[in-house]
Amino acid sequence: MGALDGVRVLDCSDPRGHIAGKLLAGLGADVIKIEPPGGDPGRSYGPFLHDQPGLERSLYWWHYAAGKRSLALDLHSADGLELFLQLTADADIVLETCQPGRDGPFDPLALSEYRSQLIVISLTPFGQTGPWRDYAWSDAVGLALGGPMGSCGYDNRPGTPPIRPTEHHAGHIAGYFAATAACTALYERQESGLGQHIDIAMHECMGFTIESSAPWALYEQHPLIRQAGRHAGPQPTEPWQYPTADGRLINIFGMPRSEASWLALVAFIQERGMGENLSDYELLDGRKRQLGLQQPTVATMLDDIADFIAAHEAEEIYAGAQAAGAAWSIIRTPDECLADEHWHARGFFVDVEHEERNLTVTFPGAPYILSETPWTHGRRAPLLGEHTREILCGQLGLSDDELGALVASGVAQ
Amino acid sequence: MTDSEPNTKPPLDGVRVVDFTWIVAGPTCTRLLGDLGAEVIRVENEQTLDSIRFGRPHPNGFDPPDSGAMFNWLDRNKRSITVNARHPDGLDLIKRLIRVSDVVVENYSSRILENWGLSFEEQRAENPQIIYVSLSGFGHSGPQRDYSTWGPTAQALSGLTAMSGLPEAPEPAGWGYSYLDHMAGFTAAAAITAALKHRRETGTGQWIDLSQVETGMALTGPATLDFTVNGRRYRETGNPPGNRSVWPQAVPHNTYPTAGDDNWIMITCTSDTEWKAFCEVSDHPHWRTDRRFATLPARLRHEDELDEQIGSWTAGQDGRTLMQRLQAADVPAGVVQNGVDLVVNDPQMKAREWTVTRDHPVIGEHLTDGLQIHFSRTPAHRDRPGPPLGEANHYVFAELLGLSDEQIAELQMNGAMG
Repeated sequence: MGALDGVRVLDCSDPRGHIAGKLLAGLGADVIKIEPPGGDPGRSYGPFLHDQPGLERSLYWWHYAAGKRSLALDLHSADGLELFLQLTADADIVLETCQPGRDGPFDPLALSEYRSQLIVISLTPFGQTGPWRDYAWSDAVGLALGGPMGSCGYDNRPGTPPIRPTEHHAGHIAGYFAATAACTALYERQESGLGQHIDIAMHECMGFTIESSAPWALYEQHPLIRQAGRHAGPQPTEPWQYPTADGRLINIFGMPRSEASWLALVAFIQERGMGENLSDYELLDGRKRQLGLQQPTVATMLDDIADFIAAHEAEEIYAGAQAAGAAWSIIRTPDECLADEHWHARGFFVDVEHEERNLTVTFPGAPYILSETPWTHGRRAPLLGEHTREILCGQLGLSDDELGALVASGVAQ
Repeated sequence: MTDSEPNTKPPLDGVRVVDFTWIVAGPTCTRLLGDLGAEVIRVENEQTLDSIRFGRPHPNGFDPPDSGAMFNWLDRNKRSITVNARHPDGLDLIKRLIRVSDVVVENYSSRILENWGLSFEEQRAENPQIIYVSLSGFGHSGPQRDYSTWGPTAQALSGLTAMSGLPEAPEPAGWGYSYLDHMAGFTAAAAITAALKHRRETGTGQWIDLSQVETGMALTGPATLDFTVNGRRYRETGNPPGNRSVWPQAVPHNTYPTAGDDNWIMITCTSDTEWKAFCEVSDHPHWRTDRRFATLPARLRHEDELDEQIGSWTAGQDGRTLMQRLQAADVPAGVVQNGVDLVVNDPQMKAREWTVTRDHPVIGEHLTDGLQIHFSRTPAHRDRPGPPLGEANHYVFAELLGLSDEQIAELQMNGAMG
């Protein structure tokens, strides 16, 4: 069983809440994704199956909607809203993402008062209050205003802007807070019997996701310098990314701290006839080989290491350094991750049947392995309105005629 | 905003966490649990202190192990005890603490707790309902379980580093901080709260095995599927795309320079309505009718030209004024803020009291940052600063575990505590 077995979620979110719903589904909740007739905007996000756009062909949707059910219902219609309110009687959580001044179909606070057992989560760009609460938003704007992007970019390419990491990370960050909020409120409700309204500002979630920028700002009001492929810092530091003989890159952050590990790394390099300066006795002092401390010993050391990396292939360097206890890594692209047997041995990648296409698709899987309540990927992403009938007729008891009338008037699909 | 009031209990009130975490990933998780009201007890050892206790800045003078701002920021709302787990009596103390606790969290390499004699089975022998979270680079199974990571190398292995950068650069820009330390911590918090809910229902604890790299790979869904379904490798199509958007398709979608040194504004038009509104504000209404820019397909073909023209228009303008003008027309636009901007220049954060002043025995008065989850009925809190080393020794050993003064003195003498 899943940790959230028996929990029903009415997920009215737009793409900024897609991962939040996915996390709850993975933990075992019955997540009903309420889509507007015509389809959720995420269905128009590529990439697409064989590059052909279509409502049921978005790989974005396949990933983020997997394990959810689809109810296509227009919440902006009186009939649609009434049916939604009926569904809340039997629901535990409502997840919504409308900005407070922007024409949402219902008032989340009022809903939470109307149904005292219900946990209503408002996951919005800036929260329910404040001068920016209705500011127009996109994931990239969220990362720009929220702080994460300000630390990312190039020091070695003058005039280039801060760079925002791709793949909806404002949604990712806030989605984990929403999932934690949902589980926490469910836990609390087990004792009190009461739901509540939860206001999550994505902007504030970003503000906790900037690591050392936060203490430097809070205590010293000192901004950090952004640097390619490594931590922003109060002063410039040495590069961490070095090209290999096979055209890839190694990240060398994590120079060994223990002497045994350092000697093993040096042996690995010197056995291949390189790195003669690494025998410098000064480097036996752990601080003298650490990056970012303005150590004069580091420049020569890095020259030797860069030469070694440039003369060898990435997988060999990675395996040898890790065996020596150095936490070096290859900079991989997502497709390259699939070639690593370790993740397959742990069962990270999962195959999901798309039966009507006679297709088995490999997905990235669980973010955690829970021993008693295994995470489940769930069924392939729902077709638009695939579960409308079973929810409206099966759960709410509408007749076929009533459903037909709703479909004819465009309220349901 | 919704800091706790005298008559309310935070939602995780009564949950006790034995916290073996260090550096950033584990402490991110336990900070969140502490904010939510859990009693988080850091188990520290004077011989191998968390290096974050020494990290800069030290705002009121370098006076470790308690003067570090990073530590105080990340480890607020926690308690601290000193125990040596490698001493038999120290291990016994830890086991007794586990008996009266709910959750154990650690982010050591994958064999450390096992070597101490604190594997999940051994923890469960002390407390059958314990929830144990191990957070390591590669997890506790698989052929590479002995490999190790830091945040940056985990990001590199997960694919996330490669997905941030300019298309023309051979090296990615990556992440300017340990994103996956934070994300692995948030992931752990989600799993723990789910496990607490499950345990309250069934009485069953469990072991949550987290791999930091897996928490990152779980965030690469569409890019991974583009390979497993379409056979396309990430860098084949000019990725990473800089600040442009591949999906959803949107042009303009980029950063543009504004007045001053290294100031930038992100402008994203995700619909034709936003594009038209943008053109009206831009003093270049003809962009709307220009054949090169009139439709999204046309703009996709002429994105370089459009970006250049927009950049010429924004350069020299005050970024925040421009943001307000664009926002008044409902165009998604925001200046690139850094941490200092969040603290000093952000009216939204000010209105929501994202920072508040707190006191600390060594650092003195300082700002602490906000809560992320605002519960209407059971507010979270941020009242307690990072713990001075060993400040909770008496509370834990005498009050929780019921040791006498003589027993405590004995354990101090023989090296079990310290």
